[in-house]
Amino acid sequence: MDKIQKPVLIIGGGMSGVTTAVEIAEVGKEVILIEKIPYLGGNVIKFNNYFPKLCPPTCGLEINFKRIKQNSRIKYYTSTEVIEVSGEKGDFKVKLKTTPQFIKNNCTACGKCAEVCPVERPNDFNYGFTKTKAAYLPHEMAFPYKFFIDDEFCKKESCNKCVEACEYNAIDLSAKEEITELEVSSVVVATGWKNYDASKIDNLNYAANNVITNVEFERYIASNGVGGDKLLRPSDNTEPKKIAFVQCAGSRDENHLPYCSAVCCTASLKHAINIQELYPKAEIKIFYIDMRVAGRNEDFLNKAKANKNIELVKGKVGKITETENNNLILEAEDILSGKKIKYEAEMAVLATGIVPSGLNINLNTDKDHFFTDLQPEGIIPVACSRKPMDVSTSVKDATAAALKAIQIN
Amino acid sequence: MNKKIGVYICSGCEIGKALDIEKLNNVVSSEQNVTICKNHSSLCSVEGFNLINDDIAKENLDRIVIAACSPRAKTEVFDFPENILLERTNLREQVAWCFEPNDENTQMAAEDYLRMSITKLNNIEVPQPFIAENISSDILVVGGGITGITSAIEGAKAGYTVHIIEKEEKLGGWLNKLHKQIPYSAPYSKLIDSEIEDRLKELEQFENIKIHTSTTINKIDGQPGQFEVYLQNGTEEKITVGSIVTSTGWNPYDANNLPHLGYGKPNVLTNVEFEEFVKNNPDKDLPKNILFIQCAGSRDKDHLPYCSGFCCGTSLKQATYIRELSPKSNVFIVYKDIRTLGLYEEFYKEVQKDDQIFFTKGEIEEISEENNNLKAIVKDTLLGEKISLSVDMIVLATGMVPNGTEDLNLNYRLGKGLPELKYNFSDSHFICFPYETRRTGIYAAGSLRAPMDIAASKEDATGAMLKAIQTIEATKRGEAVHPRSGDKSYPELYLDRCTDCKRCTEECPFGSYDENEKGTPLPNPNRCRRCGICVGSCPERVISFADYSINSVSAIIKSVEIPDEFEEKPRILAFVCENDAYPAIDMAGQKGLKYSPYVRIIPVRCIGSINKVWISDALSQGFDGILQIGCKPGDDYQCHFIHGSELTETRGENIQETLETMMLEPERIRTEFVEITDYDKIPQIINDYVEEIELIGPNPFKDM
Amino acid sequence: MIEVKPDIEFKKQLKQVSKSSLNECMQCGTCSVVCSLAPDDRPFPRKEMIWAGWGMKDKLIGNADIWLCHQCGDCTTYCPRGVNPSDVFSAVREISYQHYAKPKFLSKILNNPKWLPVALLIPIIIISAILYTAGTLQIPEGPVNYSKFFPHAWLNSSFSSLWFLTIGLGIVGLRNFWNDMKKQNPDLKPTGSFIKNLLSIRKEIILHSNFSSCSAQKTRKIAHLLVFYGFIMLLFVTAFAIYAAVTHNYPLGFLNPFKILGNVAAMMLIVGLGIMIANRILNKKDFGNSTYSDWLFLISLFLLTISGVIVEAARFLNWGLAYHLYFFHLICVWFIIIYLPYTKFGHLMFRVVAMVYAASVGRRLK
Repeated sequence: MDKIQKPVLIIGGGMSGVTTAVEIAEVGKEVILIEKIPYLGGNVIKFNNYFPKLCPPTCGLEINFKRIKQNSRIKYYTSTEVIEVSGEKGDFKVKLKTTPQFIKNNCTACGKCAEVCPVERPNDFNYGFTKTKAAYLPHEMAFPYKFFIDDEFCKKESCNKCVEACEYNAIDLSAKEEITELEVSSVVVATGWKNYDASKIDNLNYAANNVITNVEFERYIASNGVGGDKLLRPSDNTEPKKIAFVQCAGSRDENHLPYCSAVCCTASLKHAINIQELYPKAEIKIFYIDMRVAGRNEDFLNKAKANKNIELVKGKVGKITETENNNLILEAEDILSGKKIKYEAEMAVLATGIVPSGLNINLNTDKDHFFTDLQPEGIIPVACSRKPMDVSTSVKDATAAALKAIQIN
Repeated sequence: MNKKIGVYICSGCEIGKALDIEKLNNVVSSEQNVTICKNHSSLCSVEGFNLINDDIAKENLDRIVIAACSPRAKTEVFDFPENILLERTNLREQVAWCFEPNDENTQMAAEDYLRMSITKLNNIEVPQPFIAENISSDILVVGGGITGITSAIEGAKAGYTVHIIEKEEKLGGWLNKLHKQIPYSAPYSKLIDSEIEDRLKELEQFENIKIHTSTTINKIDGQPGQFEVYLQNGTEEKITVGSIVTSTGWNPYDANNLPHLGYGKPNVLTNVEFEEFVKNNPDKDLPKNILFIQCAGSRDKDHLPYCSGFCCGTSLKQATYIRELSPKSNVFIVYKDIRTLGLYEEFYKEVQKDDQIFFTKGEIEEISEENNNLKAIVKDTLLGEKISLSVDMIVLATGMVPNGTEDLNLNYRLGKGLPELKYNFSDSHFICFPYETRRTGIYAAGSLRAPMDIAASKEDATGAMLKAIQTIEATKRGEAVHPRSGDKSYPELYLDRCTDCKRCTEECPFGSYDENEKGTPLPNPNRCRRCGICVGSCPERVISFADYSINSVSAIIKSVEIPDEFEEKPRILAFVCENDAYPAIDMAGQKGLKYSPYVRIIPVRCIGSINKVWISDALSQGFDGILQIGCKPGDDYQCHFIHGSELTETRGENIQETLETMMLEPERIRTEFVEITDYDKIPQIINDYVEEIELIGPNPFKDM
Repeated sequence: MIEVKPDIEFKKQLKQVSKSSLNECMQCGTCSVVCSLAPDDRPFPRKEMIWAGWGMKDKLIGNADIWLCHQCGDCTTYCPRGVNPSDVFSAVREISYQHYAKPKFLSKILNNPKWLPVALLIPIIIISAILYTAGTLQIPEGPVNYSKFFPHAWLNSSFSSLWFLTIGLGIVGLRNFWNDMKKQNPDLKPTGSFIKNLLSIRKEIILHSNFSSCSAQKTRKIAHLLVFYGFIMLLFVTAFAIYAAVTHNYPLGFLNPFKILGNVAAMMLIVGLGIMIANRILNKKDFGNSTYSDWLFLISLFLLTISGVIVEAARFLNWGLAYHLYFFHLICVWFIIIYLPYTKFGHLMFRVVAMVYAASVGRRLK
C-alpha cells in the first residue's frame, strides 16, 4: 500500500520560497510555506524594480500571491520559524515557532488600529528611514493583507486604544508564542540573504549621513519609498544631483566577503538608470573593479554606457570622507589613466553584497556560510542560501528545487 | 440549471458609513434571479461566512455576490465549493475608500457595481474543465548534452518515463570533448574530470529512460498531454508524450569572423579547438608562451553583442591545466572584465595563485605573425602603457551561439520552433517567471535559453523538467498553467459563425490554434493559457469562455445605468487588466486617494481580450468615454500574455474606424499603460480623462 | 610600448623575500587610495603590484616610488586580496641594494644568513691584520686605554679609508640607480642640481613628515626619529672624536659636552631601536614581514650602540674584558659603517636619492 504522501516544508517566504511552493502545489502536491517575518516576498518585494526590464517585482509577486490564494494545496504560516528538524527523508518531523503579531486573521485591514495607535516605530520595510505606527500594515501590497502590531513598541494593555477601536475584535494583545509540530516529506531551505553590514567597512564611512547601501537605495528611489516620487538624500532631504556608486563594497574582499555577490554590478547600473529617468541631468559615477554583467545583460551595460551622464570608472573606492555640507569625497585610482581621483558626490551608494541569512538548524555550509549541496537527503537548499544569484536565477533554482522535493516520497 | 443568486452586502470597513445600504438592497432586489439579499456588518467574520453558507444550503443558491472588499482580499474566507459561482463586488477599495462618502455619485457607483455583478452571474456558468482522454505522462527531452541528460535523470527520479533523443550517435554533447571541467562547488580549487561518463552510467540505470540516439524529429503534432512525436532513425517511429524539454544547446561563434584577432594564422585556436587538442593529445608538449584573448567576438556589437558567461571560467580552467601539463609555460590572459560571478571568484583567486599566469585588462590592437612567432599588441592595459607580447600560441575565448529550436519541427500554425528573444535565445521574457513559454508544455533548458555554463545548465535542466511534469499534471486536471494557474475555463468556438479570418490563429500568443486549409481555427485547449486574446481578436463573437464571454461582458456593460443629463454625470467605462492595473486601483483606494466617481471598472483577463463589440456596445449604451488600462508594451513589455497590450495599439485603428462610423470623436477611447506600483498615478489618469471627456461633451448616443 | 618578458626568477625572489603573494592582486587600486603618501598622478603601489606580478624587474628596480614608500602598511591592511604591497616594496628595496651593490659578493654575503660567518670573518681578519701591522695585536697592560690597543691614527685612517671606499662604490650604484630612474621615465626630465633638490626636501628629511600620515603605526615615526637623530648625533660626536684625537687629549672626560651628547644619542638609539624591534616581534600584522636584512641591520645597530656604551663603561671601570668588548664594538661599527651600501642601512642613501630624483621631476608626495 502506498503510504500517504506528506507535504513539503519550505522554509522562507521570499521570492524563491514562494516560487518553490507554487510550483510544487501546481504539480499537485501539498506544501507548507513558512516565513519568519509577518509578510511574504522577502528582500525582493522591497525592490523598486528589476534589471534589465525595469519592471516592478510586485507585478510577478501579485501573480504568485494569487496562485497561493487560489491553491488549497498551499498552507502558509508567517511570523514563523523552524526550531527543530529531525527524522529522515520522507519522514521529517519539524517544530515551528510562531511569534504573536497580536492581530488575528480576521483583521479586515481597515486601518482603524493604526489611526488610533499613539506610538511610532521605525518602518523596517524602508530600513527604518520612515516611521509607521506600532499597529501597521507592512506595505500596501502586504500578503497576507492584514495589520500587525510591533511587540517592541506597543504599550499593550496599558494603552489598549487599538483594541477599543477595532470593530472586528481582531486584536489580542495577550497572544502568546505558539509551537506547532508537523510531519513533512522533504524540506526546502529558501532562507535567502541579507546584505553585508556596511558599518564593518570602515574606510567607506557608512556612518556618514549620505552614504547608504544599495538595498536601502531601492527604498529611496521607489515611488512608494522614502522620498515618494523624489530621490531625497538623508541629511537634508534635498535632491542630490551627483551620485556615486561604490561597487564591491565588502565583496571580493578578504577582510569582508571574499566572494563576488554576482548581482551588485547590474543592480548599480539599474540604479543609475533609475536616477536618470527621474533626473536626466544628474551626474552618476560608478566605481568598479570588473563590470560583472553576465549574459544578455550586456545590453543593459551598454544602455548605461550610452548615457553621457553615467560614467563608469575602473577603480575601487578606497576612502570616503564627509564634507561640512554633508557631501562626500570619494577617492579611487582611475586605473586606466593611472590617476587618483577625488570625486565630490552629494550621495554615495555602497553596493554591498549578499550574505546568506542562515538557519538555526545544523546544515553543511562552506567557509562563507552558504549551504553546500551535501545535505541529508530530502533537505534541499535553494537560491541565495546556496550561493549569490540574481532574482531570475533564484527562481530557476527554486523551480529546480521543486522537482528535487517531489522526488522524495 | 436554475440560477439562484444570493447577494450579500457588507457594511464594515466604512462601506456602511459611505453608502446607503438600504437603498442598495432595493436596487438588488429588483434584479433578475436574485433569490436573497442580506446585509452584515462584517461578512468576513465567522458569522458572516456562516450566514452565506447556511443560505447556500437552505436556499440552494448557486451564485453568490459578495459586495464587500476587493476580490484580492479575504480569499481564504470566501472560499466556496467549485460549483458555486462567486462574484466579488469591490465596494470597499473601489467605492467607499476612493469616493466621497454619502454622495449621490458614490451611491450610484455602488448601485452600478451591484447590477454589474448580478448581471455577470446571470450570464456566466461554472467552467467545466476540458479533460482530454489518453493523456500521456511521458516526457520528451530533445538534445542529449549535459542539460538533456540531467533533465532526463531528474524526470525519471520523479517517476516519469522520459524519452531522450540525440541526433549524434552518442549522448554527451560538448562534455565528450572536455579535457577537464571547472569546479562548481566549494572549495573551487581543483579542476575536475569530465563528469560525462558518470552521468551516462547514472542515466542507464533508469528503466524509465528511453534513449534514442542518431535520431531526429520529423514532426510534432498535438498539444500538452497528447504530443505525437514522429522520430526519424532510419525508420519513422511515433511516440506520444505529455510534454517536452528542449535542450539542443549551442555552437561556438564562428572564429573565421575574427581575423583581426589572428584567427587563420597558424597556432591561433579557439577555446573549443584548444580543449579538443589537449583532450586528444594530453602528452604533447605545449608551447612556452600562450596568450588567451577573452571576449573574442563577444561583447562586440559586430559579432556577439552579449557576454557568453562561460568563457572567463573556461580560460581560467585551460590556463590551469596548461600549467599542470607544462610547468615551463607562461600563460597570458587579456580580458575586458574577469567575470567569475558569485562563488566562482574563489576559482579565479585559485588560478591567480600561479606564478606564471599573467592577467591584464586590455584591448587587442594587433596580432601579427613572423617566423612561427605570434606577436600581440595590447592597449589600455593595467601596466600603464601599451604592451607587446611574443607568444607561440593564441587561444581565442569565443562565445556561444544558441542552436535554436527549429529541429522540433512543431506542426504549429505559428512555426516549427519556439519563439526567440533577442540574439536568438529561446528564453522567457519574465524575471519572475524564467520558464514562461509561449508553446505550452514545451520548455527550453540550458544554453539555448541563455548563455550558461555546465552547473547552470544542470540547474536549468531540473527546473525545466519540473515545468514539463507540472504541465502534464495540470492537463490531467484540465487546468491552465501559469499565469492563470488552475483556471478550468477554456475557449469554446461556435464555428458556424466563423468567417475564417484567421485573426485568432494569428494573434494567439501561445500558438493554441492550428488552422485547416480554409483557415478555420482548430483549437488545442491544452495549449491555451486562457488570456482571452482570441476573444478580443474575433470580429464575429465566435470565441467565449464559460465565465468570460462577449455576451457576458456586453451584458455587464449594458447593466450600467447611464444618467440622461450629461452635464453633471458623465460615465466612463474602464477596462482594466486584472493582473496589474486592477491591484493598482485597489491600492489607490487603500491609500485613500480620491478620483472621479463617474468611472465604472470592468476587470479583464488582458486588455488584449477586449473585443470591439464591447466598445461599440458601451458607446451605444451612452458611455462618454472608454479607458483601457493595461501593462506596458514594447521591448520591455510587462504584459503577462506577451503582446496583449501591443494588440490594443494595432487594433486601435480598427476601433477608430468604428468611432468614425458612429460619428464619434477619437478621444472617446484612450489606452493607458501602468505598472502595478503606479497606484499613485491612478487618480490623475482617471480624472484627466474625465475632464477631457467633459470638455468634448456628452455622447450623442446617450438618449437613443 | 614595452615588450613584456616576465622575469620569473625575479618574481620568485620577490615572493620569497617579501613572503607575500603577488598574484592574487586584482588591480582594484585600493592600496593607491589608502596610501597617504602616493601622489595623485601615477600613484603607488597599485602599478608596482602588477609589474611585480608580471616579473618586470627593470620597472621596479629603477623606480623612485619604491623608495618614496615609508612602509606604513595601510595598503596591506586594506588590501581586499590579502596581498601585502608594503612587504613587496620592502623586498624590492632589498633586492635593489643587492642589484646596485659593488662588489656583488659583499651584498650576497650580507643578505643571506648562511654567509653570516664570512661577513663576520672579514672585519675580524682585516682589523686583526691592521692591529698586527700596527704591532698592537695584544691585550695592553695597565688602565684601560683603547688607543694602546688600536692607536687612534691607525683606527681613524683605516676605518675612514675603508668607509670612503665602500661609500664610493655605493655612490657608483646610486648613479646607476639614478640613470635607471631616468631611463624608466623617458618623458620626465630632471631639473635643478642635486643639492638644490636635496635642499627642497630638507623638511621631509628633518621632520620625518612623511611618517606622520601613517595611520597604521603611530610609534614608527618616534622610533625612526630617535634612531635617525641618535645616529646623526653619534656620527657628529665620532667626527669630533677623530678631530679631538688629532688635536686634543683623547679620550674625552666623562663630563665633556660631547661625551654627554654621545651618551644621550646612545640612549635615543637604544629606545628607538627597542621600539622597532618590539614592534616587529609583537605586531607582525601591522608591521609586516621582517626579513633577515631587516634583522641584521636592526640588531647590528643595536649591538653597536649597546657595545659602545659598555665599552665606555669598561674604560671608566677598568674591566678586564674591555679590549675584547672593544674589538666586538669595532666589528659592529664595521657592519654599520663599512657595510652600509650592502645592508638595509643603504636605504638611507637610496631613499634620499629617490626623493631627490622625485623632487627633480616635480613628483611630490602628498
